[in-house]
Amino acid sequence: MTDGRTSVTHPPVAKPPGDGARPRTSRRDTQGLVRWTTRVAAVLPGLALVAVIVVLALEAVPVIPVNGLHFFTTNTWNPGNSYSQPVISHGVQMPAGASYGALPLITGTLESSAIAMLIAVPVALGTALVVVDKLPKRLSSAVGMFLEMLAGIPSVVFGLWGALTLGPFLVHHVSPFIASHVPDVPPFRFLKGPVGSGEGLLPSGVVLGIMVLPIVAATTRDLLRQVPRGTREGAMALGMTDAEVIRWVDLRWIRSGFVGACILGLGRALGETMAVAMVSGAVLGANPANLYATMTTIAATIVSQLDYALSDATGFALGTLAEAGLLLMVISLSANVVARFLVRRSSAGVALPVGRGI
Amino acid sequence: MVNAMHELTEPDTARTPGHNLHLQVPAPVAGSAAAPKPAPAPESGTAMSAHDVSLSFGDKTVLSGVDLEFPAGTITALVGPTGCGKTTFLRSLNRMNDRVPGFRRTGTFTLFGDDLYAPSADPLVVRRRVGMLFQRPNPFPLSIHENVVAGVKAHRLAPRNKLRDITETRLREVGLWDAVADRLGSSPFRLSGGQQQLLCLARALAVEPDVLLLDEPTSSLDPVSTEAVEHLLRTLSPGITIVIVTHNLAQARRLSDRTAFFFEGRLAEAGETEQVFEQPASEATRQYVTGRFG
Repeated sequence: MTDGRTSVTHPPVAKPPGDGARPRTSRRDTQGLVRWTTRVAAVLPGLALVAVIVVLALEAVPVIPVNGLHFFTTNTWNPGNSYSQPVISHGVQMPAGASYGALPLITGTLESSAIAMLIAVPVALGTALVVVDKLPKRLSSAVGMFLEMLAGIPSVVFGLWGALTLGPFLVHHVSPFIASHVPDVPPFRFLKGPVGSGEGLLPSGVVLGIMVLPIVAATTRDLLRQVPRGTREGAMALGMTDAEVIRWVDLRWIRSGFVGACILGLGRALGETMAVAMVSGAVLGANPANLYATMTTIAATIVSQLDYALSDATGFALGTLAEAGLLLMVISLSANVVARFLVRRSSAGVALPVGRGI
Repeated sequence: MVNAMHELTEPDTARTPGHNLHLQVPAPVAGSAAAPKPAPAPESGTAMSAHDVSLSFGDKTVLSGVDLEFPAGTITALVGPTGCGKTTFLRSLNRMNDRVPGFRRTGTFTLFGDDLYAPSADPLVVRRRVGMLFQRPNPFPLSIHENVVAGVKAHRLAPRNKLRDITETRLREVGLWDAVADRLGSSPFRLSGGQQQLLCLARALAVEPDVLLLDEPTSSLDPVSTEAVEHLLRTLSPGITIVIVTHNLAQARRLSDRTAFFFEGRLAEAGETEQVFEQPASEATRQYVTGRFG
């Protein structure tokens, strides 16, 4: 065995015959190089996450005690008077009269994402089921291609479409219908009232829904493709209807992964910025009064207020945006954690893939 | 068991609750929770038949001119080399080929005299009455209990509060009860392959089929599990008509009452198993059953 060891530590590098040309890089060196590059590559994502959080936190930490709890409970978004003498609060300089309340941003973010998921999840599931089980192969790959193309459309294009086409369409044809047909009782009262201008919560939710749809649909399609044919046939052979096969075999089989797919989509909806900034009305300072009212989200506010914040010499506005950014991250990450928990609980010993990326 | 035409056409909503506890199948396992009923006398007459049946996919004819009867209460083995069409034929007996693109059928299949493919025949009812067990165990991603009663729930054969009893009865029937009684709520995927197959059998029996089709049900199982499945099929056979596709000639011989030999897209020979193996009428059969090819 010792012989073997020796020969391992001293690889017999074959010298090129004839002249004393430099030997090529030894295989051992390549091995080490690969090992180190892969190690670096492995820690980079973690480092990036930490770096983002640290930088955001450094900006946000000084303003957090100033904004206090009312940041989460009030509606005012007042950057203060930047021409007057700055005041000092909790040891932090800020423009006189500045007061920030992010509640409308939080509700706007959650409400628009909820509408998006209400639209995207059932449609995506239906699309995926049809693509996998009902369409002939050629058509199904065409639909799959369209899904992937839909996922690749830049969000600013969705925003333009939402502002120019979808918003006006909704306000002329859809919103009045909903508003006049739902009963005037508490849970539905949110759907009543003036239908607004075509910019607001409903168009934001719909645009987000369409943007999220391909993510959820493509992932669900991949999950459904893994449902064994034999299991589905077993259900058919028991005399189950298509709906029963879907309910008791397909959905159960993909359940954990499907939750993951939905959370993947939710993450996109929560964080989507440009399209919402363009169709929400980007109105600060008030919670949307009904489904059609103008609103804003955390992400849209950050992008629309960044310009002003950079001009705030006290840096307080920027710190507040960083705090909003942290808040958005916390919301997205908690959604992710909750999803993972649900997935783990629901997978019930069936080793199935969890929400694969797209 | 006189099965009127309407049984194929109407979902059995008229069934009285508890009817399904009347086992058409003997419950032979000792200590069964359900009161063991004496096995019904072997059915007389024909459970299923094929008359001048041809089956094809697109332009490719798989089988043609098949005439075959399955006497009620018997076990019939379908044997023949790979690609001879026996599995296609089996799947046509409960209309599992309906959805296969390009599938075409001529000729008639009957189930207790009713036309299986009549326009008014409901494939869902056909499949409830003609159950199927597959080559590989295919439990649903549900709990063990939910697996057994999945078909019962789909066809609404029993009230909710009877489902537990059905699970116990059927699991005892297939001899799986003692192994899984304490984990009915857990996943079936942790069971061994043989246990999974028995579970699938329990699931198929729970909807009380008249006929059970088996597509090489033991080819993925070890010898002990195979023996368990075979033993079970023998105990079931007087009460239920069984059709089994198998590549295992020894299995066909020790298990079946009748054997049908498919060869090159035709039914080469069918008859009593003993006769097919001992005095085959055709030369192809003789060569196949003596192991010259296949």
